[in-house]
Amino acid sequence: MSDSEKWAWWALGVVFLTIGAYGAFLIFLGHGPAITSVFALLALTAVPASSRRYFRGRSFDEREREIANKSWRAGFSAVWLAFIGLFLTIGFFKGWDATLILPVWNLEETILWAWVGILGVEAVTTLILYRGGAHA
Amino acid sequence: MPSQEPVIKNQIRRLRFEHGEMTQDQLAKMAGVTRHTIMALEAGKYFPSLLLAFRIARAFDAPIDRVFEYHELAGLSPGGAS
Repeated sequence: MSDSEKWAWWALGVVFLTIGAYGAFLIFLGHGPAITSVFALLALTAVPASSRRYFRGRSFDEREREIANKSWRAGFSAVWLAFIGLFLTIGFFKGWDATLILPVWNLEETILWAWVGILGVEAVTTLILYRGGAHA
Repeated sequence: MPSQEPVIKNQIRRLRFEHGEMTQDQLAKMAGVTRHTIMALEAGKYFPSLLLAFRIARAFDAPIDRVFEYHELAGLSPGGAS
């Protein structure tokens, strides 16, 4: 298993851990600002970086770079589409001239969920491209 | 019906064995890539850049067209005859 695949599995684990912790907090604390703290778990995605090859003075080869770029683009595109869908949905249901009043933690959570989404899709795409190839 | 997508086939596996049973790891080091990339190349799951193709050919001390073959249509030889 390559370092990138190991990172992808780790990132997926962190994503599921974050979702699980969020669910647990939701049950025990209810929805509120405190729940945002579970997103601190996302910092765990940096753990394997200390063992990744580029930190040992070696860089990714061309296939790994290509896969990393495609995976990042897939993650970003997925979240971008989700955002567009969200904005359109809000517009259709609330009206295009409606005013939204939201607490700050709602905005924070939206951004952090977007980060979870990017990480999840990026990790899954990395694993698929490594396994399936698809001339990536 | 054959695929219309052009493919690049390679002789890396055969050339490795012709060169003293060179391991994938040895070839990877010589070409400056990971063993996984050599595995993907041999399995036909990855088309290399021109730079990598030249590096691999140099590792075998062979011209590039002895290592890689361009096929216009899957299942046909480069000249077009099957």
